[in-house]
Amino acid sequence: MTPGLTESNRASRSRGFRTARWLLVRLGGSIFVLWAVATLTFFAIRLIPGDPAEAVLGGPGSQASQETLDQVRRDYGLDLPLGIQYLNALGRLLSGDLGTSYALKVPVADLLGAQIGGTLILAFAALTVAWLLALALSLWSTGGGRLAASVGQGIELTSAALPHFWLATVLIAIFSSALGWLPPVSTGGVTGLILPTLTLAIPLAGFLAQVMRETLLDTLDAPFIVSARARGESPTGIRLRHALRHASLPAISLSGWALGYLISGAVVVETIFARPGLGRTLLQAVTLRDVPIVTGVVLLVALVYIVMTIATDAASRLADPRLRRAEATR
Amino acid sequence: MHLASPARARRGIASVAAAAGIALLLAGCQAPAGEESTTPVEGGILSYASGDAEPTCLDPHVGGNYPQALIAGQFLESLVSRDADGKIIPWLATEWSASDDGLSWEFTLRDDVSFTDGTPLDAEAVKVNVEHLKDPATESSTGYLALGKVDSVEVVSDTVARFSLSAPDSALLESLSMPWLAIESPAGIARGMEENCQAPIGTGPFIVDEWVKQDHVSLVRNDDYNSPPADAKHDGKAYLDGIEWRFIPDSASRYAALQGGQVDVLDNAQPDTIAAAEKTETLAHLDAPRPGASNRIELNAGAEPFSDPAVREAFVRAVDVNDGIESLFFGSAGRSYSPLSSVESAGYSDESLFSTDLDEANRLLDEAGWNERDADGYRVKNGERLSLDFPVSTNQSIPAEQSLFEQIQATAKDAGFEVNLSLLDLSSWYGVLAQNNYDLVSAPYTKVGPDVLRILYHSDGITPAPSGYFANLSQVNNPELDDLLTRASEISDEDERASLYEDAQSIILGGFHILPLYDQQNHFLMGTHVKDARSLPTVSTPTFYDAWLDGK
Repeated sequence: MTPGLTESNRASRSRGFRTARWLLVRLGGSIFVLWAVATLTFFAIRLIPGDPAEAVLGGPGSQASQETLDQVRRDYGLDLPLGIQYLNALGRLLSGDLGTSYALKVPVADLLGAQIGGTLILAFAALTVAWLLALALSLWSTGGGRLAASVGQGIELTSAALPHFWLATVLIAIFSSALGWLPPVSTGGVTGLILPTLTLAIPLAGFLAQVMRETLLDTLDAPFIVSARARGESPTGIRLRHALRHASLPAISLSGWALGYLISGAVVVETIFARPGLGRTLLQAVTLRDVPIVTGVVLLVALVYIVMTIATDAASRLADPRLRRAEATR
Repeated sequence: MHLASPARARRGIASVAAAAGIALLLAGCQAPAGEESTTPVEGGILSYASGDAEPTCLDPHVGGNYPQALIAGQFLESLVSRDADGKIIPWLATEWSASDDGLSWEFTLRDDVSFTDGTPLDAEAVKVNVEHLKDPATESSTGYLALGKVDSVEVVSDTVARFSLSAPDSALLESLSMPWLAIESPAGIARGMEENCQAPIGTGPFIVDEWVKQDHVSLVRNDDYNSPPADAKHDGKAYLDGIEWRFIPDSASRYAALQGGQVDVLDNAQPDTIAAAEKTETLAHLDAPRPGASNRIELNAGAEPFSDPAVREAFVRAVDVNDGIESLFFGSAGRSYSPLSSVESAGYSDESLFSTDLDEANRLLDEAGWNERDADGYRVKNGERLSLDFPVSTNQSIPAEQSLFEQIQATAKDAGFEVNLSLLDLSSWYGVLAQNNYDLVSAPYTKVGPDVLRILYHSDGITPAPSGYFANLSQVNNPELDDLLTRASEISDEDERASLYEDAQSIILGGFHILPLYDQQNHFLMGTHVKDARSLPTVSTPTFYDAWLDGK
């Protein structure tokens, strides 16, 4: 057995240990976050005015008789003290049961299962388009001189500040009402996806391009770029082959956050474009005080958020060895 | 029925106006409609865009709100209907008669009608439906309330059902005409709530085929259909192959989809889009005010300062309503001076009570002791400001109506009233009302017939339901009015009934308990290729039984 091999064994074992610990910490954190989200949602929706029993009875302002109300409260356990209701709800969640919708009377899991697809398709389409727009914009604004830089910066700031509902209305007015090119509502096909995707992608592209441009500019001043230039690389080649990879790193780690941002934006976009999805489900459920659905959607979004954060963390650890070393010396 | 759509346009009118502006520009470029034919053509799927909330259950027995009524009218039918003059006409029941004491009603049913699952329509089915509505487990609100005086139903023969009442009910036929009391297949009901909510089984011209939540309900034609109401245009099955019933909550998207041809008909058309559509040759407008009460602002007489009739009159005299309606509704809504909808033949108006007169308002307030003004120009009495809380439901008041309330707020200030508008979502709004924290409120109420007056203005309506809800929001408590409304609800003679309701309305208007605005708005827009679509004169829901698509 050579000393070198022992050394490498120990190194790999301790690296495995560090990765396991990293994963455990994040798993523990995730469970805590999910518990906190479930608890906050449960109490928040019970603190705003409105009786969940009325959600069962077709909406607020119900003129249901006392008998009917009593029956509903018994059926759904709403006659118990709030603390007990909370523990019951938590117990159900722990056993993996999201409960039954008050208003729609179907299992929440089935409902969310049917709705999550539409939202994820929309969110990933918007993320992809936002990335492409941001790449194009930052490459152009860093390579086109001072005018392009300031115009690019203006576009980034403006688009990042656009509210979804305004953008959606303007896009519909232009591309549906005036030009007649695209349908304003979901048609089940790809054409119906274009306007909602753009509505979500344009503000996000503004954010991403801002981050990319700054890192791109920093990187272009770095010594390795100077040496690449010395080797005779063209300006475009430098930006595409060398600087861009570095500039993308912060944008990659932003993508986890971006997905959460897109799913919350889906509430507005799905409503305006009449697309089925989690956002619209959530809006209806909040209006009706349909506690199980609200809790289910919020938990699901939190879960997507957590998974994306862990995934982007892991990707960054893989891509950037400095992160792993920093942890080892702690 | 008072529940309205949680999905009406909830954004500012400005964003919608942007789209409408472009729509207006385009309106001039639309090609004129081609040769019109008048012979119905069979076939085609009609695409309907509903701006109302997606129902949580398609069975209108459960809960019972307007979004349910809109779609249920396509596949469920009632015992009786109402014609355009307000007369009750046969539907599933061919004739009916009441005993002399008004406590027993016999309904004779058609003997040749079947539900779409093959179950025959008979007296037993009627009995099962009434029992279903009265069973607390059904969680019915509207239907349950309407059957308040019905104790039981007895099967006399296959085609004769006898209703036994606890007290005479002059509104029984009107109640039975409403879609919330439609007759469903007993076998369908027996499947249990979850399944029946997905696809109730009726005798209607269409059948629920599939419900994709948050998206659409597919309705297909009932080829064996034979039970149109007495005022329908044709017999036999419907012309359309089916209806795709979509849920498009956003007003601007809905209108853009109609312009682009993705949908054929839309509901909940907003004033700006109605104005745009009326200038478009390829679009038609169907104005179908809902029955029951008019849209009105209730003045809460149950608390200071409106417990003083002079202050109520001063408010009514101070505010300018007509200019606001004209500018905000683009001519789509006519001013009402009645507690009842203009479709109710028993409606009584008194325009003279509602003329704007700021001097008179000021005089009344001075006399009532509100004769000081504070630094902000609001009137003060005993150190208290003349302040009015006005909770507004963003689900029930469309953006144009919210703007109208802001104009009322501004004109009331001239007389020294401070109006505090608060925009609330439906649950919070009902919460504020249940806690009695309001002086002004606008709460629509849809019901067939003038008996809605008893619900809204009888002092019994001040006592809250178990949920905290109460219907008498103006909190009128007048024994004379109570007596008129009770007698009207029990009398069988039509003329005497009308005269009692007229006296009742005169008391409500004369006491300045309400400020009538306009009919409960209910506008549909459709392409001119949609022929013979109409609204049912019961609760003004659209019916597509006679409808056909020209050139498709």
